[in-house]
Amino acid sequence: MQQLFSAFGIDWHLLIAQAVNFGIVLIALWYFLYKPVLAVLEKRQETVAKGVEDAAKAEALLAGAGAESAKRVAAADEEAEHIVSAAREAGNAEKARLLKEAEARAVAVTKDAEERAKEVAARAERESEKEVARLAVLAAEKLLKKHYD
Amino acid sequence: MSEYIAYGTGHLVECKDMHEGISVVLKAEQLGSVFGFPITNSLIMAWLVMALLIFTAYIFGRSLSLVPGKIQAGVEWAFEGAIAYMAEVLESEALARRFFPLVASIFIFIAVINEIEFFPGVGSLGLWHASEFLPVLRAPTTDLNFTLALAMIAFFTIEVTGIAMLGFFKYAGKYVNLKSPVGFAVGLIELISNLGRLVSFSFRLFGNIFAGEVMVLVAGYFLPYVLPAPLMGFEMFIGLIQALVFAMLTLFFIKLAIVEPHEAH
Repeated sequence: MQQLFSAFGIDWHLLIAQAVNFGIVLIALWYFLYKPVLAVLEKRQETVAKGVEDAAKAEALLAGAGAESAKRVAAADEEAEHIVSAAREAGNAEKARLLKEAEARAVAVTKDAEERAKEVAARAERESEKEVARLAVLAAEKLLKKHYD
Repeated sequence: MSEYIAYGTGHLVECKDMHEGISVVLKAEQLGSVFGFPITNSLIMAWLVMALLIFTAYIFGRSLSLVPGKIQAGVEWAFEGAIAYMAEVLESEALARRFFPLVASIFIFIAVINEIEFFPGVGSLGLWHASEFLPVLRAPTTDLNFTLALAMIAFFTIEVTGIAMLGFFKYAGKYVNLKSPVGFAVGLIELISNLGRLVSFSFRLFGNIFAGEVMVLVAGYFLPYVLPAPLMGFEMFIGLIQALVFAMLTLFFIKLAIVEPHEAH
């Protein structure tokens, strides 16, 4: 055994030194290479997972936004219709009111004219009666004068 | 007169002269010592590769961003693939994440050593010491100290994981089974094969890479400049495969260790 060891140069100093060498390489690679690379891989995996999740969320949000906008447009349509119909109703009512008012005024004007005509006629009658009486008095005066002269 | 072949990995084979032929240096050469602690060329190269790995990891780790560049995307793909495969083998995502640093570090450390081994300067740059050429750099995977140290780390990780997951007595019950003679024999065989992993782990890696270097050098001895290049390409591929084998076997043995005794057979 001793001969074998000496032929291959086996020396416990060197054995330990080489084992320590490997240990140092292991620790150094662990610290400088494996840990950071695996950390990057993990981080990237997380980023990708988060990206996929965000995309799904955005898609859901977009779909929601579509529905929301359609709802709002429908509501706005309905409101516009309400406004137009209300305006139309108000217009009609105003029209009816104006018509009624005009009619009433026409009736009043007619009535007024009739009354005034009646009054004029009555006055004319009264005046002509007065004239007739005056003429009759004149005629009587004339007749009496002639008779006594 | 000594003449040395000094292609990329020339330290393993030296050609004294044509009569003496090729002699192979099995052990890493000692360049000196600090307070009685031997400094070998494979230790120096291990430190060099460590510095390279740590520096690269530091620079890379700082430049990470959520939107990856090409290199980062490649590394992430490899990490995710490795963890997914480990989770499949261990049947647990949490266990896969726990053992990923160990298995990945085994692969990366061995693979980088095995690839850098064929870079110019490794094995060819050295010192002359008493008419003997001592290369400054030698791939640690061609030094049994390194492969055995890694094998021990893998072995202890496997055993400790088994005990931690199953409990000491249940885990020991896999190897010491007194319920029946057949069970006892099977347990004994399991125990021996388990201990044998130390040898198989270390010698598989050492043998493959060492043999590859010897082959490249012998090829260079017979047909210089032409034959070594394709063989080096092949050996670089083998180097990757051996790194993968070491890491995968560690993973599989961890799986075997945490399987309940009655499920294992």
